[in-house]
Order: sequence, then structure tokens, then C-alpha cells
Amino acid sequence: MTAFVLRRILWTIPVVILVILLTFAMMKAIPGNPFRRSDRPIPESIQRNLNAKFHLDDPWYQQYALYVKGVFTFDLGPSMVLRGRTTNQIVKDNFPTSIELGLLAFAWAILIGVPAGILAALRPNSIFDYAAMFFSNIGFAVPSFLVATLLIYFVSVKAGWVPTSGWGEGWQPDSRKILPSLALSLVPMAYFARLVRASMLETMQQDYIRTAKAKGLRWRRVVGVHVMRNSLIPAITAAGPLLGYIITGSFIIELIFAIPGIGTYYVTAVEGRDYSVVMGLTVILSVIIIIANLVVDILHGFLDPRIREQSA
Amino acid sequence: MRSNRWLLLVAAVVAALALGAAGCGGDDDDAAGDTGEAEPAAEQVLRINIGSEPPSLDPTLATDNISSFVLSQIQDGLVSLDETGEVVSELAETWDEEGNVVTFHLREDGMWTNGEPLTANDFVYAWKRILDPEIAAEYAYQLLGIEGASEYNGCTPAGSAKCAALADQVGVRAVDDYTLEVTLTSEQPWFVSQTSHQSFFPVPQATVEEFGDTWTEPANIVTSGPFQLTEWSHDESLTLEKWDEWREADSVTLTRVEARMISDPVTALQAFENGEIDACLDNNCEPPQEIDRLKETDTWFVVPNLATYYYGFNLENIPDVNQRKAMALAIDRTVIVENVTKAGEIPATNMTPEGVPGFDVLRQDYLPATADLEQAQALMEQVQSPKTDITLFYNNAPGHREIAVAIQSMWQEIGLNVDIKQQEWAQFLEFIGPPPDNAVDVFRLGWLGDFVEAFNFLELWMCDSGNNSTGYCSEEYDALINEARATPDDDARYELYRQAEEILFAEDGDFPIIPIYWYTTSYMHATTVEGWTPNIIAQYDLTKVSINN
Amino acid sequence: MGADEPSTAGAPIRQASLWRDAWWRYVRNKGAVAAGVIFILIVLYAVFAPIFSPYDPNKVDFALAYISPNLEHPFGTDQFGRDLFTRTALGGRVSILIGIGAALFILVIGTAYGALSGFVGGKLDDAMMRFLDALYGLPYLPFAIIALQIAPSVNAFTMMLALSIASWFTAARIVRGQIISLKQNDYVRAAHAVGARWQRILFRHLLPNTLGILIIVMFLELPGVILGEAFLSFIGLGINPPDASWGSMAQEGRDAYRVYPWIIIIPSVFIATLVLCANFIADGARDALDPRTRE
Repeated sequence: MTAFVLRRILWTIPVVILVILLTFAMMKAIPGNPFRRSDRPIPESIQRNLNAKFHLDDPWYQQYALYVKGVFTFDLGPSMVLRGRTTNQIVKDNFPTSIELGLLAFAWAILIGVPAGILAALRPNSIFDYAAMFFSNIGFAVPSFLVATLLIYFVSVKAGWVPTSGWGEGWQPDSRKILPSLALSLVPMAYFARLVRASMLETMQQDYIRTAKAKGLRWRRVVGVHVMRNSLIPAITAAGPLLGYIITGSFIIELIFAIPGIGTYYVTAVEGRDYSVVMGLTVILSVIIIIANLVVDILHGFLDPRIREQSA
Repeated sequence: MRSNRWLLLVAAVVAALALGAAGCGGDDDDAAGDTGEAEPAAEQVLRINIGSEPPSLDPTLATDNISSFVLSQIQDGLVSLDETGEVVSELAETWDEEGNVVTFHLREDGMWTNGEPLTANDFVYAWKRILDPEIAAEYAYQLLGIEGASEYNGCTPAGSAKCAALADQVGVRAVDDYTLEVTLTSEQPWFVSQTSHQSFFPVPQATVEEFGDTWTEPANIVTSGPFQLTEWSHDESLTLEKWDEWREADSVTLTRVEARMISDPVTALQAFENGEIDACLDNNCEPPQEIDRLKETDTWFVVPNLATYYYGFNLENIPDVNQRKAMALAIDRTVIVENVTKAGEIPATNMTPEGVPGFDVLRQDYLPATADLEQAQALMEQVQSPKTDITLFYNNAPGHREIAVAIQSMWQEIGLNVDIKQQEWAQFLEFIGPPPDNAVDVFRLGWLGDFVEAFNFLELWMCDSGNNSTGYCSEEYDALINEARATPDDDARYELYRQAEEILFAEDGDFPIIPIYWYTTSYMHATTVEGWTPNIIAQYDLTKVSINN
Repeated sequence: MGADEPSTAGAPIRQASLWRDAWWRYVRNKGAVAAGVIFILIVLYAVFAPIFSPYDPNKVDFALAYISPNLEHPFGTDQFGRDLFTRTALGGRVSILIGIGAALFILVIGTAYGALSGFVGGKLDDAMMRFLDALYGLPYLPFAIIALQIAPSVNAFTMMLALSIASWFTAARIVRGQIISLKQNDYVRAAHAVGARWQRILFRHLLPNTLGILIIVMFLELPGVILGEAFLSFIGLGINPPDASWGSMAQEGRDAYRVYPWIIIIPSVFIATLVLCANFIADGARDALDPRTRE
């Protein structure tokens, strides 16, 4: 088991370095000057001084080395556009908001999606089952910007239950947090519902469950203990890609709801050619996903011995 | 058994929703849409949308209009411009102009928020700081009319003793605590009005030296204007509060201003119409497609703006002036301002917009407000080898795409195939240079006046202007502009402007660009808000704003 | 995989019976059939509607702006007076093209990686899979955004590339899984024992039998890239006008959704429908090709 864990962790490091390299190369390939923001060109002397200040004239491998060193010492460099702020500060200010948004969305997804899937599995082909699967298909397919716009229109503008945009204090209850997290949760919710349902149905048809039922064990206990545990394993594996979806979806949701998170900031930073901020954010996002995958895999390994054997 | 679980689930969901909804809600004042007598409200708090995070509140480093807005509320300059664009005194009580030397006499009760008096040295420090090559401030160019400024600013290596020596030679000095003497490179009749710009604001030296990059954070910042920056939640909002010790604090009605940063206009409009915001900076609450509806409301307003929207040619790719004239005549400017931009813009006939002194003298009348297709087609026939495949570049801010699509269709009428290329700002700037990428045939740009004088618009088209992406170069034109720069007599100068515009836009003009319209500033505020009105260069003055019931 | 007829190591015969069986199973799945039909209808609409339409989709005529859907303009008109029935079809061409193109790119990259890893096996497979495990789940959006900024202008091809750069991991995994399970089949072992060269085994036996899986993966990835294109257009990184995709049309429509809601709703409905159909087709294909997953 420890060998498994160690090997997985060890593989993470070259991947992180590769992601940094890829992001670095891509950013350098983008034409455009981070310092020229108005159509007035920058006098050459000033351009030279700015380049020197931000090491833009050094050969690429030096810049890359400097940057990698920065990443591993947690110094992500100054922002070239928001002079006076560093990437670390920006991350510290905005990242927790995005994390909170993502966690809330996850919570909604589990709170509503998992029970819906369970119930659908317990009453297959009933009206509830059809309704649940219908809504989950809708949740998958309808683009989130439409959902968000409609939610704002009906819940906020028409009914006036919550404000139309904004975000409150970090980690405090605030009515403005409901709609954005709900809008973001629909796809994971649909995913969980379908997954849990399919997985439970499959498990319930297994021989050992049928045997338990035939033997007269109480159905509730059978479902509660055996079926659930085995069904939830696939749900955990889904957590990784779902995290990726939530990060992607948050870009749009943050834009529509005016939430001061990482998502909208990312687009502005790329447009403004703020190299250090873009690289910093991409690296952080990637590292988070990679670590999340790691955790999920290890968890999966714990719960399902077959996985551990496969990778040995 | 089953029904229990079902009930439990429903209860859980309902409880969760209820809990969330009961949590501290956002403020839901209804301040929008109240008519009635103009009675001042008890709480003078203004909630606005400024559109996005100001990149910097350091006058030396600020370049965009949002930083500009905040800075002009928290900081005083030598002078400022009122609603009509006239110069009014702020920290400079009076000033004398003798040839190329301007002497400002500062008021003696100017003060910083930390109690220190505001003296001429603060200006000297600030102006040399923005010229400092080590800081590499983008707006240093504003001060290049001062003697010795370009030498100092262009000095390399930055930080050396050579540069320090050049700093001493810059033509600005404090004769005494309250007298600021400026030596210019030549007589510049518009210099005083130029000093209203934030690049000329004073900067507190001790604070900057103590806190460095973080000196603009609310905990550290020291300012001298009517409002103070008390809170700044980056990318979300900032708060300004009235400074009770400002020299004219009694005339300021507002006690607090809460500024949100909503970049998406649809979201901003929703917040405005839901009563969460009282006013919007410029048109950041106006999605282009809603303008028709908004114009009919009593919360939408428009004033002239000193700026010109134009399409520039890459003269290397379209060398025949007849083709350029034809393309200019084929554009129906009235259709564009009435159906696309819809904010009361004025179809343009020349580069300099209405509102500058001398406009009546310099305006041209060759370009019609609607299209002249007949003439355009006739001109196209005279073109030897016309370029019929045109690539048009624009940057992807709201509004430009719609105009490009409309013009694309208009140029089709004279036989041109137009390929539209949208790019975002930084990339677009790369492409138009100068010199422009040779894929560029036509590009879109706008020029916002830095100060209220035709010179600011006409000097763009000089041979070595860094803003001239057309490749246009005319000795005659350059001579006229240089002469204007050195002509202090107003009427004589206006006549020179007229001749310059004639070279470009008369019937036999060169047409390096097509002026399309002169901007307006459209903005929105609730009916309870009074005094939220921008001047001709889109500046707002919060000291004139008040809230009624 | 049940073989009905005796066969030698001849892949073609197997394929024929496999495909016929799969087809029959697919056709019995009503949902999948309906989805397939709707999908084809949408594609036909996108291809043929502009050809037969009396309207010029790019002509600007402000007098006709913002007409709500009626008989003359079944989908209404937009702010420039352009007929939306025609434009939605054209937008469909772009969105579907980008969707299929990106899905194909993903398939190509994923197959190359997965087939290499699965076929070679051993230490290389181990290393490649560990690597993939770590990359799995990386969000495609940041890389897509950067990629689009590198390109001088955004067209269908750059979109396809941008969307596929960081989306091929699942496809690689699936293909590898398939190759590995195929490798253990008797006829492959037989071919190996007889001394067939690896190229023959790979290209004649393994890859053709992976075709089924590839089709499934294609329809699995389609929703992701179609929605991805819509997202990118929404952020403002979409196709250049006057060309449009469903995503860029929806973004334009959002501005005026309160007064002219059809402009955002129509392209969104098309996106949702296409995505739903792709999901059902993928499910149906999976059930058809591998009866073990049927309930």
C-alpha cells in the first residue's frame, strides 16, 4: 500500500514541472506586449527599462529556471499589469472565493444528486426515476450561461428573493451565494445522480445481494450497508474530472454573477498578457487538480483492493 | 419506510434552501425610480459601479479611466476642469505664464490626510518620479513638454549617477514652499489645462518611501482630496468616505461612496434595475442591445465627449487616394449612429471633434453625414488597380463588432469583399504597431482627448507620431502642426488647424483615416441622484453629487 | 466476444458479424434511435437550410431588426435584421464542424497515446499510465484560452486545436484499456505465436477492433467540446464575425435576453439538443457493442 502511495506521489513531480513548462511555452508564444495598454506606444527607453525590470530580456531558459525556482519557493512573481501587487497577493485575495464557490457547488451536487440517484435506483422505471433521469439529462446538456441567466431572471429579478450579483464575506452565509453555486452544481449533480443510480442498480443485481435478500436480511440494512458502499466507489472516481468541470464552469459563473474569484481574473490576465499571473494561476489550478487526483486515487485504493493489485 | 426517507430528503433540501436564503442578505435598498420633491435624503451614501478593478491608485502608475476616476476623487491637482472643460483652480490659487515659464502659486492651506502640509516640493517629487526611467511609467509622456524631461526619462542605464544628474536638470522646481516654477520646451498655451491630468498630481514622498509598493492600500495611503479611500476589497469593491478636513468639506454632501466592480454590463444593468446600484461610470451598465430600451427610461443620459472614432488605412496596402475617398463616402454615418451605437453620437466630418475652442473655424464639410454611393462608385472606377479584398481589424470590446459588420455590408455596395478580424486588445495593438502588420488593410481606433485643444488630435498624423499607424507622412502637414505648436495667438492657431484638417479631409484631401463619429458619454443614474454628470472629457466630480428622497 | 462462425485469424469476418449484431441491438434501443434521427435531422438542417434559404445571412438591414419569430422568419431576426433561421443553420455548421473536428483530434491524440501504451505494455505502459493518471482531470479551459490567444485570429481550426489540447486523457485511457483486453484474445495470441510482425497485429487486428470503442468515445467527447466552444465564445474568444457559431450567437443574445429572449434561447436549445443526442447515441452504441453492460 505504501509503495502504491509513494509511487503515485513521485510521479506527480515531473508532471507539475511539465505543466509549468507547457504553460510557460504557451505564454511566451503569445504575441503582445504586457506594458502597452493604450494605443499610445511606449517610448523605447521606457520599454527597455520595463523589460529589464521584469527579466523579459533574459534568454528563455533563464526565465524558465527563475520561474520554476519561484514556484517551488512559493513566490509567483509580481503582476506586470497590476503594478504594486504580486501574484501571491492576487491568489490569496481571490482564490478562497473560488474555492468556496466550488465547494458550495459540490455540496449542492451531493446533497441533491446522490439521494436522487439512490431513490431512482430503489424505484426503477417509476415516475420519479424517469423524472430524475430527465432532469439530469437536462442538467448535462443546457449550457450553464443560459441556466445562470434564467435563474437570475426568475429568482432574482422577477421574484426578488436574492440580489442579482455579488458575493459576500468569505465563509459567511449570504443569500448571494445561493444562485451561483446552484448554477454551477447542476452538471455534477446530474452526474452523481446518474452514476449512483447506475452503480446501485448494477450492484443490486449481483448475486451476493440477491442471496442476502433471499436469506431474509432486512432490505434496509442490505441497501444501507452493502449496496451503498459498493455504489459510492465509482462516485469517488468521478470526483476528479468533476473538479475540473467546476473550475471550468466557475469562469463563466464568476463573470455572470460578478464574483471576485480566480476565473474572471484569469481571462483578464491572459488578455492583458500578464505573464506571471497567468502562469501562476495555471500552475496552481493544475497542481490542485493533480493533488486531488492523487487523493482520489489513494482513497480509491483503500476502498477497492482490486485497484491496488492492478497497479502492483 | 420508503415514504419516511422521501420526506426526509425533501425536508433536508427545503431546510438547506431556507438556511441559505435566511443568511445575511445583500443590501436591498430601493433607491432607484423615486420621483417627488428634491429633498435631500438622510443617508448620503452613493453606490456605483466602476466596472473593474483599478490597476493602480498611484498617480505615477495609473493609466486607465477607472483609476483616473478614483484618483480624481481622492486627490487634488494644481487645477481641474469643470463641466464645460474650463480650468478651475484647485491647489494652485493663481498662475502666471510668461513665454515658456509657468509659475503656479499654491494655496497655503493645502493638507495631506496625515496632517502634513502640501507644498510645492510634493509636486516636484511627483513629477520627477513619473519621469524616473527606473520606474518606467507609461504616462511619463504627458510631461515631456517640460524642459529636460525627455532627456531624463530616456536615460540609460536607469539608476546611474548620470541619470541622477539629469533629474536635477528637469525644468520644475520649488522656488519656495508655495511657489512652483515650470520651464517648458516652448510656449504651450494648453499646459495649465493639461496639469489637471492625474500624471501631474502630487505624491506624498514620506509615505511612498515608507511603504513602497503597498503605499496605496487603504491602511497606508495618504491623499489630499475631498474623499478618502477607506476600504479596498480587490476585484470586488472599494469604499470612499468624505474627508472632513478637506479645505471645502462643507460643500460636500455625500458621506460615503461604495464602488462595485462589475465588468459584465448585463450583470451591472440587472443590479442597477434591481436597486442595488445608484449610478454607473460611463456606459458600463449598458449592454449594446439594450440601449434602445434604456433610452426611453428616465435614468439614461448623454453628454458630448471629446473623442473621435475612426477607421485608419494602411497606406502601403491601399495607396490610391480615390479608393480611400470612395470607402469614406460609402459609409453611412447616420445609419451607424442611429442604428448601431444609438447614444446620440455625431457623424464626424474631420478629425477634431466638436467642443474644442476654434471648432467652428476648423471644421470641414466634404464628408456627408449619410453615404454618397454614386460618388463613391465613380471614384472607385477611377482607381487603377483597386484592392477589392479588404481585411478589417478591430479589438473585441463591446460595440466595435456591430459597427464593423455594418460597414462591411456598406463596402460590399462598392464592390469590396471585407474580411473582419477580431482580436483582443494586446494582440490588436501588436498588429497595428506602428508600423502595421502587412495583413492589416483597415483598422479601427478611437482617440480620446487628453486635453481640450485641437492640437491633441491633429498631432497624431505627423510623420513620426507613435500613434500614427497609417504610414501617412506629409511635410506640409508636419510644418503646419509645428507652427501651431509655437503660435500663442488663438485665432492664428485655429486658422492653422483649419489648414491641417483641410489637407486631410477636404475634397482633395489625403484621407489617411476615415472619421466616423464623435463620441458621447452615455451614463446612467437613478432619479434620486443629483450631480452625477461627466464633463467633456468624461470626468466626474463626486463633490457635486447628492442623494434625494 | 461471441463468434457465431468458425474463423481463422481473419479480422474482416469477425467485424461483419460483430457490426451486424451491434446494429440490431442498437436499433432495438428506442432512445438511441430517436437520438440518432434527431442528430441527423440537425445536421441536415445545418447543411441544407442555408442553401435553400431566400435570405442573405449577412445582409444588414436595420429596418428588419428584432422581428419575433413568425412565418416569414421562423426564428425571428437579430439586431442587424438578419434572418435567424438561416444563421442558426450556418452557426450549426460551424459548431458541429468544430465539435466533430475537435473530437477527432482528441481521438487521434488519445488513440496514439493509448494504443502505444497498451500495445507495448510493460514498463513503458506503466510509466505512460502513471503520467496520464497525474494529468487526468486537468481543466481544458485555461489551456484553451492561452492557445486561442497565440493564434493570430480565431477560426474553426484554431478552435478545434485549442479544445483538444487538454481533453484527450479519457480517450487515451479508454483506448489503452481496449487494446490491452484485445491483446489477450486467442486469435491475437495465435497470430503472435505464428510469428506475425507487430505492425500486422497492431494494424490488422487490434486497431480495427477498436473502431467500435472509438465511435463511442467520439460521441462521448462531442458534448464536452460543443459546450466548450460555447463557453469560449461566451467569454469573448469566439469565432470572427460575420461567421457565427451557436455559442457566439448565444453570447450576443444574452445582452438583450429580457426584451428579445429568442436570440439566446434558440442557439442554446440547439446546443442542448445536440449534446443530449450525442449522450444517448454514445450510450446506445456502448450497449450495442458490449452486451455485458446492458441491464
